[in-house]
Amino acid sequence: MGVIIGNVIAIYRRELQSYFASPFAYLIAGIFWLLGGFFFTAILLGPDGLIAQVAVRDQLGITQPPIDVAYQFLSIFLGVIGSLSLFVLPILSMGLYAEERKRGTLELLATSPVTNWAVALGKLLGVVTFFITLILPIMVYEAIALSASDPPVSPTVMLLGHLGLILLAAAILSLGMFVSSLTDKTILAAFLTFGLILLLWIIDPIAQSIGGSFGDALGHLSLLRHYTNLIQGILDSGSIIVFVSYIVLGLFLTAQSIEALRFQQS
Amino acid sequence: MIEVEQLSKLYGAIPAIQDVSFAVEPGEILGFLGPNGAGKTTTMRILSGYLPATSGTARIAGFDVHEQSMAVRKHIGYLPETPPLYPDMTVEGFLYFVARIKGVPAGDRANRIQSALKRCNLLEKQNVLIRKLSKGFRQRVGIAQAIVHDPPAIILDEPTVGLDPRQIIEVRNLIKSLAGDHTIILSTHILPEVTMTCSRIAIINQGKVVATNTPAELTAQLAGKSGYELEVDGSFEVVRSPLQNLPGVETVQTAPLPDSTNHHYIIQIESAPGVDPGRDIAATVVGAGLSLWEMRRTRVSLEDVFLKLTTEEKAVESSDLPDNANSLKTTEPSGGEAA
Repeated sequence: MGVIIGNVIAIYRRELQSYFASPFAYLIAGIFWLLGGFFFTAILLGPDGLIAQVAVRDQLGITQPPIDVAYQFLSIFLGVIGSLSLFVLPILSMGLYAEERKRGTLELLATSPVTNWAVALGKLLGVVTFFITLILPIMVYEAIALSASDPPVSPTVMLLGHLGLILLAAAILSLGMFVSSLTDKTILAAFLTFGLILLLWIIDPIAQSIGGSFGDALGHLSLLRHYTNLIQGILDSGSIIVFVSYIVLGLFLTAQSIEALRFQQS
Repeated sequence: MIEVEQLSKLYGAIPAIQDVSFAVEPGEILGFLGPNGAGKTTTMRILSGYLPATSGTARIAGFDVHEQSMAVRKHIGYLPETPPLYPDMTVEGFLYFVARIKGVPAGDRANRIQSALKRCNLLEKQNVLIRKLSKGFRQRVGIAQAIVHDPPAIILDEPTVGLDPRQIIEVRNLIKSLAGDHTIILSTHILPEVTMTCSRIAIINQGKVVATNTPAELTAQLAGKSGYELEVDGSFEVVRSPLQNLPGVETVQTAPLPDSTNHHYIIQIESAPGVDPGRDIAATVVGAGLSLWEMRRTRVSLEDVFLKLTTEEKAVESSDLPDNANSLKTTEPSGGEAA
């Protein structure tokens, strides 16, 4: 057991180190922070932003229903960050295995006393950690803005929202890692992952149009629905289970796909 | 240490290797020699546990490479055809990573890495990014990652390919220095490589092992095909049948000397193993009244053995093979000619 954990940590550290050594990763981070900051300002302070809306309501004398700006802001902003991540996550996951295949380092991993599961888990933890460093500065913006709110924002809502974002990212990265294990072309992996996420994103409206018990079941697979629940502060154990299932599924498929690679013609 | 029995691998219906069997004793260096596409890499990959064999078994240190893959992986160091390197890591950082995943205990890592760096002459490069290393250094890092965990068996797939002559010599010396403590199997298509580094050779062609022996014995096996080459002046037909009837002479061939103006001929004689008809040949030629300008022994080099074993008659016609592929028609310039 200790050996396996040691292996996971070794893979994790290597993976993380490769992100911080890559100028490309800094570029992605820069763009992500720029857009995050832009949306942050637009939603809160923009001409159609929440503060402007409240001001208009005050002028018109509307007081009912009361509007909780901090809460509103958090769920809208996290919704936007979620959508933004949709574009960033495939880029983060595309190289996880495709690069190893291209460089031939997969042969090193596959002939070392490390299980495919340990490699996949280490890689996933690495890329999720990198994603968390991406959202850290954004959490600083939030903390500054929301610390001024009265009444104060419920810490539970804050926590659930960001937990939701990280779970969403981990689910997508896990699936993206599987897609990356299927090819040695990183760009192809990114596009396929993006398509897959899009499908899982829009599955909710599709499910609603189908209706019935099948549509209902399909709707539960939707990432969007569960993410929306979490960022609104609704803790549904079902949502957590769905995200965790996606993460485990991605890990499982990755391990299987790497195992199957050996049996393919090469 | 390494036992391979009846190993076969099919890609679809096409066999990459067929019934490959050989064994490597502890401390030995076995050269796995064959032309490109003969199935060397496939065999190396099966031994490392990277590919499963279609049939047959391979055991390293007593463990089956497929059934007990994890145990085998702990006992081998493997350098694939392209060294598996992370360009964004430093040499030392990469070796630390490999040491960790190969299960080197934390307390031994620093020592093991230092000794691998030292052995591969990488001490001055230990803090350099792999991306910035030249091909020769990368190859050395590839070998360093194969020995960092001090495995009993080392598998090297074409360790000197793409290196310049000086680097090749360094890498060969490095491999030789590893023998004894480690059992090594290395694949190559370069003949002098095995004669210089290996204690035993297995020659593979079209997926089959065609010979296994020490370099010396392998040459000796075919040394029966040695003989003489003569340059004579005069009518060759006079001596043809007397030469053919000499004891120990198997074949007699002749060719006019290129750009010869005065009836100079080259006579090539293959002799039977264990018989040296040299004296009789000379006596016969001179006795028949021919002028003997040159006479020398022709020995079969390992290169000839290799080509004989791996070249089919029809393939000889292809122009990229040397002239002496299947006969002894060497066209060496003789005495007076200058190119």
